[in-house]
Amino acid sequence: MLKYAPLVWKNLGRNKLRSAITGVAIAFAVAMVCVLRMLPAALDSMLDRMSTGTRISVHNQAGLTYSLPYSYVNKVRAMPGVVDVASYQWFGGVVDEDKGVQFPNFAVDADHVRVVFEDWKIEPQALDDFEKYRDAALVGTMTMQQQGWKVGDLITLKSTILPVEAQLRIVGTIERGPFVWLSREYLEQAMLAQGFSFDTTGTIWARIDDASLVTPLIARIDETFRNSEAETASETEKAFFSNMMSSAQGYVTILLIVAGVVTLCIVFIAANTASMSVRERMGELAIMKALGFRWRTLFATLVVEAALLSTLAGAAGVLLSIGATNALRSITAGAGGAGPMNAFFVSNAVLVQTLFIAFFIGIVSGAFPAFGASRKPVAQTLREVF
Amino acid sequence: MIEVSNVSRLYKRAADEVHALEKVSLEIPRGQFIALMGPSGSGKSTLLNLVAGLDRPSSGSISVAGQSLDALDEDELARFRAAHVGFVFQFFNLIPVLSAVENVELPLLLTHLSKSERRERALTALRVVGLADRADHLPRQLSGGEQQRVAIARAFVSDPDLIVADEPTGDLDARNAEATLELLRTLRRDFGKTIVMVTHDPRAEKYVDVVHHLDKGVLLESRPGGSAGGAH
Repeated sequence: MLKYAPLVWKNLGRNKLRSAITGVAIAFAVAMVCVLRMLPAALDSMLDRMSTGTRISVHNQAGLTYSLPYSYVNKVRAMPGVVDVASYQWFGGVVDEDKGVQFPNFAVDADHVRVVFEDWKIEPQALDDFEKYRDAALVGTMTMQQQGWKVGDLITLKSTILPVEAQLRIVGTIERGPFVWLSREYLEQAMLAQGFSFDTTGTIWARIDDASLVTPLIARIDETFRNSEAETASETEKAFFSNMMSSAQGYVTILLIVAGVVTLCIVFIAANTASMSVRERMGELAIMKALGFRWRTLFATLVVEAALLSTLAGAAGVLLSIGATNALRSITAGAGGAGPMNAFFVSNAVLVQTLFIAFFIGIVSGAFPAFGASRKPVAQTLREVF
Repeated sequence: MIEVSNVSRLYKRAADEVHALEKVSLEIPRGQFIALMGPSGSGKSTLLNLVAGLDRPSSGSISVAGQSLDALDEDELARFRAAHVGFVFQFFNLIPVLSAVENVELPLLLTHLSKSERRERALTALRVVGLADRADHLPRQLSGGEQQRVAIARAFVSDPDLIVADEPTGDLDARNAEATLELLRTLRRDFGKTIVMVTHDPRAEKYVDVVHHLDKGVLLESRPGGSAGGAH
């Protein structure tokens, strides 16, 4: 079969413009499919980066918008295997009421976040100040950049859900994410000043001693508060963020469907090219059959030609996707809000699968026109063409 | 060499039946150059296709080089053509993306010859037709006459017993037509090839040994051509 390779190669270059246009179409589509197919992995990677295996989220079973009694915090903290616990209350603060909430901000237990979020590697001095000063705030670097803030700045956050206008001083930054933390003690006292006691929390974050204890502890926490005034739903940190991004999962599904449709479109593009190429060569195929070439040989050369074009274009598409994802990671490096974009990475598995898909597209698109052309009786073709 | 016995060929076109050939019998000795002549639709191309193993008769039998074509399936017919038949067509029908030498080499891809042997034989064939210096030219870079000579080189490069030529001068000017006919006669004379040619060209008569006239699918007459007696 190798002796037919030059013939296949020369036929591929027969109409260079058409081959090039088809190749570029396939390459771009394959690159897109490649990137889209990595989206679930990118999201998963992002969730992995966002979470640890030793942190549990505890919230109201009725939903995140429902609160839990603050007393639960100490009950969870007292459970064996729990290293420490921090309450996490949505503050919903805005800098400018017209613009609404521009960054997530929470009232947290200032003296417990150091342990619970140890892996966030917040500067010790900043944590010291956060514990020490009731009006201290820790701000995500991304929010610092967006708002043009710097450490030491005084900021005002007006809550959109509580009657509190917090006057805060930035004492440090949080490298991860856009979050802003203020002290729960500040919130409680501000509420008290308004005549309200504040004894609830939105979420409780618990850091666990050992990852193997996470599952039994989740069960134990939920069991502890079963049939109480506020039943809990505990989950791993990854599951928590995954649920938070459930709408994104829906988009991922849509995008994967799009990837499938794109693949189908490529089949039609490639089939159209192969069909045109075969149709304009009917006479030559008849001549070759007259010379003694068997239909299987001609069929194979036509299919190999289509598969070669598709696979070469697919390889170009894969390289394009690798380049694009490298560029994306490079551009979004350090940008906390880049989401899954800085987690895009074309894995070897997807690379091989996509190349196989490209090859398969070539085979399928080439097979149908090639079969018809190579099976047609030679005398009939000669009569029709000449 | 070729025995055509009582051969008929019927085509079905929609509801109609077209009798392209009716009970034609013919014997062509080895090394003879014959012309099939007659008006359009007389059945000469049909007879050529049958003799070359490109088509099957509706009835009757055909034997070429001692091989009965009746019982051969498609693959066997293809092998038969590759081994025994060389083709020359009216419009040359070279593969446009292949050079002259690659076109000539094409039938040799069906042999067990090595790459270098194939190339050597193709170049020899091109030397025979006087186009060794045009070996690397693409068909579009050759004149019509040159393209037909390349096609003739392709027809005999695999040393077939039979060369069939369908209107080989039909798309050539007078000078190139004469050169082509002379080349075919040389193949018969110097290489002992049996040549069956379909033609409308009256100039062909003086180059061939026998002229067979067909009309409406029937063999009307066979008479000696201008080269009669010089076949062997």
